[in-house]
Amino acid sequence: MSTSKSGGAIGPFHSVAEAAGCVKTTDWMLLTLLFLAVLGGYHIHFMLTAGDWDFWVDWKDRRMWPTVVPILGVTFAAAAQAFFWENFKLPFGATFAVLGLLIGEWINRYCNFWGWTYFPISLVFPSALVVPALWLDIIMLLSGSYVITAVVGSLGWGLLFYPNNWPAIAALHQATEQHGQLMSLADLVGFHFVRTSMPEYIRMVERGTLRTFGKDVVPVAAFFSGFVSMMVYFLWWFVGKWYSTTKVIQKI
Amino acid sequence: MSVTTETTAGAAAGSDAIVDLRGMWVGVAGLNIFYLIVRIYEQIYGWRAGLDSFAPEFQTYWLSILWTEIPLELVSGLALAGWLWKTRDRNVDAVAPREELRRHVVLVEWLVVYAVAIYWGASFFTEQDGTWHMTVIRDTDFTPSHIIEFYMSYPIYSIMAVGAFFYAKTRIPYFAHGFSLAFLIVAIGPFMIIPNVGLNEWGHTFWFMEELFVAPLHWGFVFFGWMALGVFGVVLQILMGVKRLIGKDCVAALVG
Repeated sequence: MSTSKSGGAIGPFHSVAEAAGCVKTTDWMLLTLLFLAVLGGYHIHFMLTAGDWDFWVDWKDRRMWPTVVPILGVTFAAAAQAFFWENFKLPFGATFAVLGLLIGEWINRYCNFWGWTYFPISLVFPSALVVPALWLDIIMLLSGSYVITAVVGSLGWGLLFYPNNWPAIAALHQATEQHGQLMSLADLVGFHFVRTSMPEYIRMVERGTLRTFGKDVVPVAAFFSGFVSMMVYFLWWFVGKWYSTTKVIQKI
Repeated sequence: MSVTTETTAGAAAGSDAIVDLRGMWVGVAGLNIFYLIVRIYEQIYGWRAGLDSFAPEFQTYWLSILWTEIPLELVSGLALAGWLWKTRDRNVDAVAPREELRRHVVLVEWLVVYAVAIYWGASFFTEQDGTWHMTVIRDTDFTPSHIIEFYMSYPIYSIMAVGAFFYAKTRIPYFAHGFSLAFLIVAIGPFMIIPNVGLNEWGHTFWFMEELFVAPLHWGFVFFGWMALGVFGVVLQILMGVKRLIGKDCVAALVG
């Protein structure tokens, strides 16, 4: 960039080059702080509302997992879209938030699930959410409308979730016979990796529900998930706008 | 890239540069190195001395950290806020535009360090707690993961938030007058996770709900975690301030 345009000081800067450098550096700092803050908020939200269905491979079942994860995941994606689209016309809010969440989760799965408490990494991988997030952002970009994004985007967000994760979980549907009992590999995982600090009734009820062979569970769960995600999207779009407030109050 | 280098070089030369990132890098590096050491400590002494809260080694290796960190954090937080207040600009409205711009950049540096701290607290150590309690029986409120998560990493990001808030309040005219609602949310909201620990531990002790991570008892953390999104409003306010300071000509020169 040339400094010849103004020939010297401009505004509070000594030169245009200094101004450009300052803006560029500050933009990266702002993006970093937004990324890490959204990551932190999204991660604590996600792990305490959808976490158990996402931590363990034997809980990645055909009913609760594709229902719970998109519904609770669309929250921060919608809020980030509201912030980036409304203020900057940047169409990457959902992907931005989801990348943050996934980076946080992958670091944790490696360093803590695998690195500290020794769960095999293949049994604790986080759900893939990038494809649904891209879908949400593309609908936002093409439509420029939060209503269309809520209706079309969020339905797709729910519907794309399971097929997007299918390659990773397919092998766990493999049937196996153990001492005369037919079960899935996911069931077997649940029996071998017992989580001690969990009520017994939850272990009995929730363990190994990848055993649901066939039938129509996933499409129903996915459509229900997309339906609820639409309403959650609407709500969280306004949550995102509300947190973008520039209001100053005089007294606290 | 060249203009960035030029600015950074100016800062390194100790000129009146607007952007001087040394403070931020020291903060980020300090936090990351500190937490790396903490994580290595957990690796060594979590299994060796952290399984039984009645054992003498638990007192030595874990409770001694707890009883050290809490007063240290309290004193540090108060000292930081006190120092920022004591050294405040007493004629903040008379600050020159260039200096005001520099202070905006310093505020962003504060917030980057805060964001790194909230990553470690809300993301790394919080999910780490999930895996620990699913694996190891929870026989006390002060488990190895809690001593690091609740009583170390949460207070540290709160101290960073308080620092950022007080810096803005005492040195930047826009934030000095009144209270930015978004900044209040950023400073107070995630802090409220700490008192919520009281509810959480009381609930665990009373009902012994071990340890469904999505249990409603944990939703207080979720609610206060949302408030990290207050950075949206703070970032907008900073950008508004920068835009006002640099003026239309400068914006046109940069864009055009």
